[in-house]
Amino acid sequence: MMATPATPRTTTDQPLIETRELVKSYNLGGETIHAVNGVSLSIEQGEYVAIMGTSGSGKSTFMNMIGCLDVPTSGQVLIDGTPTASMSSDELASLRNEKIGFVFQQFNLLARTSSIDNVAVPLIYAGIDKTERRERAIAKLHDMGLGDRLLNTPAKLSGGQQQRVAIARALVTEPLVLLADEPTGALDTRTSEEIMAIFEKLNAAGITVIVVTHEDEIADHAKRRIEFRDGKVIEDRIVKNRTVASAYADAESA
Amino acid sequence: MEKWLASWSVNIAIAFTALRTNLMRSILTMLGVLIGVFAVTLAVAVGNGAQVSVMQSINSFGSNMAIIVPEPDNEGGRRSFDRGRLTQRDLRAIEREVPGVIATAPQLRSTLDLVTPGANATTSSVGTTPGYGSITNHPADRGRYITEADVRSAARVLVLGRTTSETLFGEFDPVGESVRVDGVPFQVIGLLEEKGSTFGTDNDDTAVMPISTMRQRFVGDTLPGPDDLQLAFAGFEEGASLVQGKIDITNVLKDRYRVRDGEINPFRVRTTQEFMEESQFITGILQAVLVAIASISLLVGGIGIMNIMLVSVTERTREIGLRMALGAKRSDIRNQFLVEAAVLCVLGGAVGLALAWLAGTALTAYADFPVPIGLGVAIGSLIFSAVIGLAFGGYPAVRASRLSPIEALRTE
Repeated sequence: MMATPATPRTTTDQPLIETRELVKSYNLGGETIHAVNGVSLSIEQGEYVAIMGTSGSGKSTFMNMIGCLDVPTSGQVLIDGTPTASMSSDELASLRNEKIGFVFQQFNLLARTSSIDNVAVPLIYAGIDKTERRERAIAKLHDMGLGDRLLNTPAKLSGGQQQRVAIARALVTEPLVLLADEPTGALDTRTSEEIMAIFEKLNAAGITVIVVTHEDEIADHAKRRIEFRDGKVIEDRIVKNRTVASAYADAESA
Repeated sequence: MEKWLASWSVNIAIAFTALRTNLMRSILTMLGVLIGVFAVTLAVAVGNGAQVSVMQSINSFGSNMAIIVPEPDNEGGRRSFDRGRLTQRDLRAIEREVPGVIATAPQLRSTLDLVTPGANATTSSVGTTPGYGSITNHPADRGRYITEADVRSAARVLVLGRTTSETLFGEFDPVGESVRVDGVPFQVIGLLEEKGSTFGTDNDDTAVMPISTMRQRFVGDTLPGPDDLQLAFAGFEEGASLVQGKIDITNVLKDRYRVRDGEINPFRVRTTQEFMEESQFITGILQAVLVAIASISLLVGGIGIMNIMLVSVTERTREIGLRMALGAKRSDIRNQFLVEAAVLCVLGGAVGLALAWLAGTALTAYADFPVPIGLGVAIGSLIFSAVIGLAFGGYPAVRASRLSPIEALRTE
């Protein structure tokens, strides 16, 4: 069973993530396309947010910018009160390493690499020694119910198990926020519920969770729903009648 | 320091995983470096071997001496002599006046027919004085060498080289036996130490007799004067400067022949030091040419490394993006690929070095030519292959580290 993760630390009373007039534009054949066009919003510590929108709405570009993977054309991203615009690539790397955990649609695990070693990758870049890397990776894998899959390579794991390894990897540095980009996009409905149950537990334990999705069923698990269209936020509201997945998932994994 | 080591050990582990994943490709890439390091190492070793064997043969000849030849020194100046000059009296003057000279020895050489009742040998024979044996490092080790008394009396005595003795007497001890030299009866009084060959010339195929005997009976009429020599040696004491010695000998002889400024000398003085420097220069050039040619194969191997590292970076763009998302700095990515290239090169280089060592050992044993691969050459080769890895792996590694995280992650 999943243990309760340590409560993430905040360093300021600022919003965890704040964007100000965020713009990302591309030049396509002489025409400027605004993928994200002036988005200002803030996400507080402990929120569970679904970012919705169709393909091309700008939701993924927005997420890449708040995850410090992509650089805005203009505007500001503040993480934990700190502006990121003037940060060097090394400072951004450290920021991603310490404060942000990523979960991807295609899991992005290293092939031919055991679950332990996959989960331990972020700790390498945090400069943690080998023994501690191993201990912390094993602990997170146990949290994800993968105590008996420690040495399996991704090829020997089901899709749901792979995504749980990826979540363990995202959490192993004890980040403030989990950024999940279509985390259930490659999974069947039942496994998707399992993953959503994990997110719910993590959020209940205090971790901020941001899920990018185009599926209403997935978005309905969140507490807050932000919808994008043509690079702008067209809706930002509290979700009433949330779907609660944990009971179902607990029964499954018990 | 500990962190530094840890991060490199992680990179080495990643490198080995990557190399195992594409085993065939890795081996072929290594083969390029292997051949290059093999060729360069062997070229260096062959050059060193040539140097060593030239030194050995010069040393075996007598390491600290000047050689004086009665030939006009052709470099510039007016020529007031129709022929070269060098006499035994000149040698006595050199012994008297040049500091550091231990002994001098004259030389008259002629190819003579040595005949015994059962055999004959045509031998390049030397007429000289007792000091010759020690100056040229070739004394008698059985019987005795020629003496001053032999020289005074122009005795018909002969000291044989090992090869000549074997030709004439086989396994028998020749001391005390008689030999006819161009029809003249001689007595064998000693046997020279075995010396081996130098560049295909057998140093043991020789015979030594008093200079007076050689002059009177064999070469007298071919010489321009009654006291003239074909060649002379002046041995210096250990540590004496041959540069100064050469100047001193030249001045003594100039004085004796009244050579004025602006006139050329009727003799030439060379030293073993000059021979060594010249041969070192020549073997140095030989080595440089060999290494240059061999380096081309190493260059090709290096280009192979660069090629495969570019492929590796392209194939693993998504992995690079992922590692960046998880917190890898540019330097982490760069080092990861540098280490991978260096591991390829050092593995290939180590095998190439091992093969070069085997080839060198085989050449030394079977081709009678020293090809020494010492610790210095070995360490040099390994460092060199690591440098090749870093040089040719550098561009792909830097390119990998400059990728934008999001673009790398989006790559399919």
